Amino acid sequence: MISSMDRLAAAARGEVLDHIPVFCNMFDQGARELGIPIEQYVSNGEYVAEAQLRMLKKYGHDNVWSLFYVGKEAELLGCKKIRFAKDGPPNVEDYVIKDFSDIEKLKVPDDITTHPAFAESLKCLNILRREVGGKTPICAYLTASMSLPAILMGMEKWLELLMLGSSDLRDLLLEKCSDFFRKEIEAYRKAGADIFVYSDPYGSTDIIPMSLFRDLSLKWMKRDLEPGGVDGVVYYVGGARLNPVADMVIRELGIGTFYPGPMDDIAETMRILDNRALCAAVINDIRLIDWTPEQVRAEVKRILHSGLNIGKKLFFGTVVMPFEIPDENIHAMIDAAKKYGSAAGFEA
Amino acid sequence: MNVLEEIIESYNKAVFDTDRATAIQVVADGLDKGVSPEDIVFKVVIPGLDLMVKAISEGYDTNLAQHFMTAQIAADITERMLVKFSAPPKYIGHVIFGTASGDLHTLGKRIVIGCLKAQMIDVTDLGVNVPAEKFVDTAVACDAQVIGVSAMMVHTARGENGALKVRKLLHERGLEQRIKLVVGGAPFRYDPELYKTVGADAWAENGVSASRIILDCIAEVAR
Repeated sequence: MISSMDRLAAAARGEVLDHIPVFCNMFDQGARELGIPIEQYVSNGEYVAEAQLRMLKKYGHDNVWSLFYVGKEAELLGCKKIRFAKDGPPNVEDYVIKDFSDIEKLKVPDDITTHPAFAESLKCLNILRREVGGKTPICAYLTASMSLPAILMGMEKWLELLMLGSSDLRDLLLEKCSDFFRKEIEAYRKAGADIFVYSDPYGSTDIIPMSLFRDLSLKWMKRDLEPGGVDGVVYYVGGARLNPVADMVIRELGIGTFYPGPMDDIAETMRILDNRALCAAVINDIRLIDWTPEQVRAEVKRILHSGLNIGKKLFFGTVVMPFEIPDENIHAMIDAAKKYGSAAGFEA
Repeated sequence: MNVLEEIIESYNKAVFDTDRATAIQVVADGLDKGVSPEDIVFKVVIPGLDLMVKAISEGYDTNLAQHFMTAQIAADITERMLVKFSAPPKYIGHVIFGTASGDLHTLGKRIVIGCLKAQMIDVTDLGVNVPAEKFVDTAVACDAQVIGVSAMMVHTARGENGALKVRKLLHERGLEQRIKLVVGGAPFRYDPELYKTVGADAWAENGVSASRIILDCIAEVAR
């Protein structure tokens, strides 16, 4: 029987087995699956693992997640307050860096695996590894050093420091964030994650100028990834566009998997990657809330045909699926991705 | 090229290059050469904002850092010039701005407010996580023409306590002809029809363009 891991390995070789891998980023949906509030859901690694496994069985996609919410990384660095919503992702409410002078005081834990905020993630990873390890890719989410400051001090303050502040202070912060990233990715590797989504919105020229990307982002990306290498690393820029930097990221870092934003032209991404890397065809999942199942299927067909017309190193993906997406649209999307991501579906 | 034209060209280049220091120096040089503070604002800064809006609308590849710096530079220079005006400036409207209930993201708000201030629009910044009632009550108290609601997350953009509730209150209190509702933030970019779903009169794709859209709304209320 073909496993999700087999599909992914085949896609990386440019082959399609029964269908291309179908990745879904469902997080808060897990709470609904278990019938509990989001705040309770993310309090326990067993809940997250159980919901990921239940959703895997229910929808039949090809990946599971160990991510609870993005603010977990801020908690590992001292954040004391997360704001929970009944119908959306938890958010950092108490910034670790309230004032630029807090940067000097920011302390990266020596060993994040012993940090209480990581304990539940480990619990979740252990369950996922036990249940689907080796068969289904287990994803971990890690924020790049260039983007981590945004959840430590807010996007506004980070952009202010980046564009108007002291470069020494900026570099001190980036060094601490990079040190944290190195420890975090090592911890996730040891805990059994297979896919490391390297999230770097500040590595997109939708956010920063190309000159800053070349002079700063690339330098810190290299530092982040240097010790552990790029095996299993996926370049993701938070739903922004990555086409303008994709070639440079391959040449300078050798990252082998790209996760463009839904506003990127997938055909163009495939042409830029030119068979050098695996690529996700990403649906604009905010629209899944209001679209009919027919519209969902039509859009899945459109983006998969656009991508597969250029090359076969392709898988299907979502951004961060909003809580409100109706169940029937999730089914419609995944079924369509399997259909139009198969050799027969593509020919049809 | 006359002095003013040289200043306009150098200022616009500095803004596009996100070079605040040069933009400020260009303005200082202009003042030294006899350009009035009023001309700096009305013939350099405001047209500079319009140029950025035009560039964005024509598909020129701009980025968030450029928008941030455009607003920052424009607001900064306008503030410096206002104190030098020969007569107190006349504000052309009043906008109440804040993030939706449950939303803590401030960057878009800062960009919009910077651009609005540079265009002689009075702004009341209500901060983050603003209840709908506060938006409406403040707009009435300030006789504002526009309420701007910024939301970076899907659930705060679409939520019942955000723009939807502001619209409901405006309707219930018979204020819809007097006060326009403008929304913005990432979810609206990914779904350009979403502003209608949440009952807004208009939406802006980015913070710089928002000031132009808000100006149009102010003009509409004035009619």
